[in-house]
Amino acid sequence: MSNKAARNLFIFGSLFFFVIFLGLTVDTMNQIDGRAPEVTKEVDAGKMVWQKYDCIGCHTILGNGSYFAPDMTKAVERKPDGYLKQFLMDPRGVKPTAAMPKLGITSQEADDLIAFLTWISKIDTNGWPPKPILAAAAGVGGQGQTRGQQIYQSQGCSNCHNINGIGGTSGPELTRVGANGKDVAWHVKHLKQPRSVVPNSAMPPYAAISDDDLKSLAAYLVTLK
Amino acid sequence: MTVKYQSQKIAQYFYTFAVILFLVQVVVGIIAAIQFLKPDIFILNFNTIRTLHINALVVWLLSGLMGATYYVVPEESETEVWSYPLALAQFWATVGAITLVVLGYIWMGLNPQANITVMGTQLLNEGREYIEAPRWADVLIVISVLLFLFNMFMTMMKTKKWTGIQGVLLFGLLFLALMYLPGMYYSKNMIKDQFWWWWVIHLWVEGSWEVIAGALLAFMLMKTIGAKREVLEKWMYIEVGLVLFTGILGTGHHYYFIGTPKYWHWIGGFFSSLEPVPLLLMVWDAFRTTREARNVTNKPGLFYTVAHAIFNFVGAGLWGIIHTLPQVNKWTHGTQITTAHGHLAFYGAYVLLVISMIYVTLPSIRGVKDYNPARAYLAFWWMTISMVFIVLTITGAGMVQVYMERLMGLDYVAVKTTYNLWFWILRAIFGVGFLVGVSIFVYDFFMLGREPAEQKA
Ligand code: HEC
Ligand code: HEC
Ligand code: HEM
Ligand code: HEM
Ligand SMILES: [Fe+2]
Repeated sequence: MSNKAARNLFIFGSLFFFVIFLGLTVDTMNQIDGRAPEVTKEVDAGKMVWQKYDCIGCHTILGNGSYFAPDMTKAVERKPDGYLKQFLMDPRGVKPTAAMPKLGITSQEADDLIAFLTWISKIDTNGWPPKPILAAAAGVGGQGQTRGQQIYQSQGCSNCHNINGIGGTSGPELTRVGANGKDVAWHVKHLKQPRSVVPNSAMPPYAAISDDDLKSLAAYLVTLK
Repeated sequence: MTVKYQSQKIAQYFYTFAVILFLVQVVVGIIAAIQFLKPDIFILNFNTIRTLHINALVVWLLSGLMGATYYVVPEESETEVWSYPLALAQFWATVGAITLVVLGYIWMGLNPQANITVMGTQLLNEGREYIEAPRWADVLIVISVLLFLFNMFMTMMKTKKWTGIQGVLLFGLLFLALMYLPGMYYSKNMIKDQFWWWWVIHLWVEGSWEVIAGALLAFMLMKTIGAKREVLEKWMYIEVGLVLFTGILGTGHHYYFIGTPKYWHWIGGFFSSLEPVPLLLMVWDAFRTTREARNVTNKPGLFYTVAHAIFNFVGAGLWGIIHTLPQVNKWTHGTQITTAHGHLAFYGAYVLLVISMIYVTLPSIRGVKDYNPARAYLAFWWMTISMVFIVLTITGAGMVQVYMERLMGLDYVAVKTTYNLWFWILRAIFGVGFLVGVSIFVYDFFMLGREPAEQKA
């Protein structure tokens, strides 16, 4: 091949691929709006707050960003809004060991952020993040569990709490919660309305669960020693 | 040995700015690494430190590449730079703008409320990774780059000696400047925001910068071993051609899971898997040329050039291809595997490229024929061995993270604070080793040609 031929191949070849790329870009732009809910005023405001505090300097979102803090794509699916709001405004007030600093987020800003993150969680991401295969395999059984354990699982307590290494880290670890001297009555009261016993608790209330079930759950908790 | 054209010496300004920022980048990198262990160790939070780390990186590499271009274009055009005062003004304007941006980041880090919205964008930090620089700075940067390109273009027009190397170099720079623009487009829709953001990030490092690397590789092989231009330029066209044929559609490897259509799995997976091919070709090119070498005039220059070609392939090519297929990326996307790749790719492809260009051109800028190469080699081994270990460490952390968090479903924070703890400690230690290497290099940069060459090692 002569130098001139190589040069022409470079120029026209690159142009060719760039034109294809542009075509695909146009098509993608047309499809994107159909792959997520409408962007409301709150969502847009939330995106601006997201940028203002440079959240991406610690977090990933849609898997892109920094790897210092958990991915935000499905954050709202695991935690109720009330908890998230309290955490955003004062992370260490909710979780004393939090590595996230208090950034000065206002109440309005927190609401906007949650609207934004809720919108993000509804994007069609072609199935990302994937469901963990090993956890799914471990969760199928369910037999041989006490009523209390079943409620613990079905209520998603493990989104925030950790027992024997399994579960989230937003609330305190419960592996030995039965050893701290609190009885069934305290737990029932706490589960119904955490703030009635722990001032300013960020844990959601579970008032809708029947008294019997609450007792079973509390009975399970006190066995954890 | 001395420069043929006095104005080539302008390169030195840009190199000096580059090596100082290199030092800053690595120091803040170590702070960031320690913050994985103790988040509150420093007055600035992790996000600000990280922003400084990656922005310093990009700016010093660009500054180094600009310096290199100020050297190469007069040499190839066989004439002085069109306007020396303009070049100097462009340099100081760049330094000034960058200083303002950095002060803005620090201010925002200390007081996030200062990052107010002005005319629809944030005043101090745009909160978008890599392109955190606010809009007013974007404008200044674009003006600076345009002045630079104009100056280079006018230089070429003086003699109209269009060589392949210089043509491809300037094409790469123009492409680079154009690909900065999509980053300034604001979309309320986060999917679109990320889509255009990747145009900047990906089409820079896997497009225009790689084209520039191809041109500079040919230039350096020509300078250090006197290889034949004809042959070098032919392979250069083939290499940079393949870079763009695979790299442009390879952008699709970032469009798997961000809300974009599924066909990108096929397009991105196929084309990005081929991206290592031109990088391998560059390694072969470097070795083929070196084997034919009769008289090596600048051994450290050649050494770094070959090392650049090899680590470009390893960091970008190998560490890229391991996670580029959608079936794999589904599990590794957004984990420490990405960080490992980011470090080795940037180090191999661009850090070593700029350092090679410095060693190839600085002796003649300083007007020396010979210099003591001992520190150049020492710096190389300190930096490279440390970097390889940083990357192995973080690859380990990434594998643990993928297994525990993504496959087993353990909590992110649990994995980070317990299972990965030792990896963070090791990274910080190797980071200090890297800083030793950088310090030796920076010292050598300032001393080169300014001490007697006799003390040869
Ligand atoms: C300095 C780094 C940093 C910054 C900046 C930061 N975060 Fe965080 N964030 C963290 C870390 C680390 C965690 C994990 C929990 C912990 O240990 O603090 C976290 C946790 C969270 C959680 C999950 C809480 C839970 O218990 O599940 C949310 C939601 C969140 N951050 C949102 C944000 C938003 C929104 C912003 C921007 C306004 C932001 N973060 C800025 C570091 C940061
Ligand atoms: C959104 C996160 C979240 C969810 C979901 C959650 N908790 Fe909590 N939990 C917390 C927080 C935060 C605390 C600490 C404040 C407090 O003690 O109320 C806490 C505290 C506790 C405590 C007291 C621990 C101690 O050492 O004093 C128990 C017991 C507990 N939760 C049980 C549960 C159970 C059972 C469920 C499921 C029905 C549950 N939690 C669901 C966040 C949560
Ligand atoms: C010199 C060239 C390259 C450099 C400097 C580079 C750098 C980077 C960086 C910094 C990121 C992370 C971006 C972020 O912050 O989210 C990244 C991501 C990525 N790179 Fe590269 N890269 C290069 C070449 C390549 C090549 C050749 C391939 C493929 C063969 C590749 C595959 C990937 C993939 C798949 C990701 C996404 C990771 C994820 O999903 O989290 N890269 N690259
Ligand atoms: C020339 C050398 C270096 C280069 C080219 C480099 C490049 C980068 C890049 C591109 C990122 C963004 C990460 C990504 O998105 O994938 C990054 C982040 C980071 N770098 Fe470096 N870096 C270098 C040296 C160092 C050193 C010596 C340290 C200290 C040990 C360090 C610590 C970090 C840390 C802690 C992060 C944040 C990673 C995260 O978000 O998880 N870097 N660096
Ligand atoms: Fe890429």
